[in-house]
Amino acid sequence: MSVTFEHGGASAGGTRSTRSSRRAAHPTPSAHTLLAPAPRPALVQLAVALAGVGFGATVGLAITAETSSQLHAPGGVAMFLGNLTGMAGTYLALVMILLVSRIPQIERVLGQDGLLRWHRRLSPWPISLIVAHAVLLTYAYAEATRSGIAHQLSAFVASYSGMLLALVGFGVFAVIAVASVHSIRRRMPRERWWALHLGMYLAFAFAFLHEVALGPSFVGHPATQIIWGVAWAATAGLVLTYRVGLPAWRSCRHRLRVEEVREEAPGVTSVILRGRNLERLAVSGGQFFEWRFLTRGMWWQAHPYSMSARPRPPFLRLTVKAVGDHSSGVAALRPGTRVVVEGPYGAFTAHARRRQKAAFLVGGIGITAARSLLEDLTKASEPFVVWRVHEASDAALEQEIRTLLGRLKGTLHVLSGSREEVPMAEAVRLIPELRRRDVFVSGGEGFVQAALAVLEHRGVTADAVHYEVYAL
Amino acid sequence: MTRVRTAPLAGAAALVGLAAVLVGHSLENGPARLGAAAPSGTGGGSGPGGSSPPAATTPPAASSKVSGSASGALEQYGYGELSVAVRAEGGKIVSVTVTKLLTADQYSQQIANEVIPMLRSEVLHAQSAQISAVSGATYTSEAYAASLQSALDKLHLK
Repeated sequence: MSVTFEHGGASAGGTRSTRSSRRAAHPTPSAHTLLAPAPRPALVQLAVALAGVGFGATVGLAITAETSSQLHAPGGVAMFLGNLTGMAGTYLALVMILLVSRIPQIERVLGQDGLLRWHRRLSPWPISLIVAHAVLLTYAYAEATRSGIAHQLSAFVASYSGMLLALVGFGVFAVIAVASVHSIRRRMPRERWWALHLGMYLAFAFAFLHEVALGPSFVGHPATQIIWGVAWAATAGLVLTYRVGLPAWRSCRHRLRVEEVREEAPGVTSVILRGRNLERLAVSGGQFFEWRFLTRGMWWQAHPYSMSARPRPPFLRLTVKAVGDHSSGVAALRPGTRVVVEGPYGAFTAHARRRQKAAFLVGGIGITAARSLLEDLTKASEPFVVWRVHEASDAALEQEIRTLLGRLKGTLHVLSGSREEVPMAEAVRLIPELRRRDVFVSGGEGFVQAALAVLEHRGVTADAVHYEVYAL
Repeated sequence: MTRVRTAPLAGAAALVGLAAVLVGHSLENGPARLGAAAPSGTGGGSGPGGSSPPAATTPPAASSKVSGSASGALEQYGYGELSVAVRAEGGKIVSVTVTKLLTADQYSQQIANEVIPMLRSEVLHAQSAQISAVSGATYTSEAYAASLQSALDKLHLK
């Protein structure tokens, strides 16, 4: 049995659109499935404002907890700075956790990769603040008690409630922080790094305990303790809801199983899944899921792969290029294997459009996201697709894309050759009316960086450039 | 990808949050809150043993019929500083009060608040500064005893 996804495209009739897609006006959902709700940037601004107020209030709490006489006691200044850095550092760490909590309203606007970029950009702050906190307070207490640093560390553990856990938490935190340094992280398998990263939740649970038990802003201030506790509990609740609860619920609702595995090109595999209620799965073309195939060697890791077509209930398709252990394992999946999904994620959708016409710059397997996104476009967009592949035979799904573009009055240019043989500037030069188009860029990191640079140079404004990076 | 301008917004919001807490704090406590300046270990200046009639005691030794009050030296004790005042009647210590208590952090303040009443009753019982330290609060106990001793010295009591 062979399932076909080839007849995609903006079909007339039978179109069922969501409220939000009508409001957004551009995208037309193709088949009998729901489009993901439109992103609302105002919600991100609201969240940023709330986070900002929280940060100010946290710093305020740290400042008001200290009295001027305490500042003059031995070690008082270090004590004050130590408390301040601890409060500010843990608050920012809380924000970092929220940035990866997959809150759909935020994710829709910034995209998973955008959120991760924020998470990464913020990370040096809590790390340095928390390290400063530990150093300053050890010094401050050693100064205050006129004892050595080593003696003070043992005194912390022996006589302050929660300090032993806090020290353990700090150790875990330090190990993970070091492991996240780019050059070290690159040498680690993605799964190991991810498993290690989970330890952060533990570290922050410990940090919270010693903070409310000993922190000058909390001891004897039950109201502050409650507010802080509620903030942490809410964060934990959001993480559990959106990283565990929602994916579990979606997976149960759709009961996905592998239906068929098909080789599209050398090393490129499509997996077709069969599921229930897929007509009620709200997803936009260009989005991706984190897929977890429940087989012996793969159940414990989820990997992000794009949908390579809009769902055709009862079917859903992803297309994967074999580059690592996991993506190679996909080719060996057996029909009937159960699949658990997280998502859909990604802001690389037709909702992002700001111009009438569209262009695509695609590197290699990045075509999968472009392929499903094309289904959400209309003829008015006259999509112009430039696709760079290493060899002509790598152009998986080419026939499908040609069919789709034929219906959309679009154009496809396949350029085969290496990065050197096909310079980005040349690829971009092929696109007519460049500045009147949205440009969707999809490919590996190097490809996307090069494309962004050329587009900026050619005067395409940032609001018209939309991209999705494929991490290998 | 929708670009959202966030840095100015976050900065302004942080200032709002900071201002709100600072204003709230000063409204609540008045501008000059010196939390630790009000000694919290004073717990009843007269104390339970303070009501004994002055003349009822037999004079035990030459120097002992002393009556009066004295303040002890301010003792630095690592987690902060404290001083006590003592009042004697007829050669007997009838009350000890903490006149000054400053700690570097709230946790130490809490410990001090807990142990000071214990130290006071020890002193009233022992009738001297020869008291044993409360465990977990050695520094506080030592400072308390030292300040008390200096006050007793001023009164020429023991």
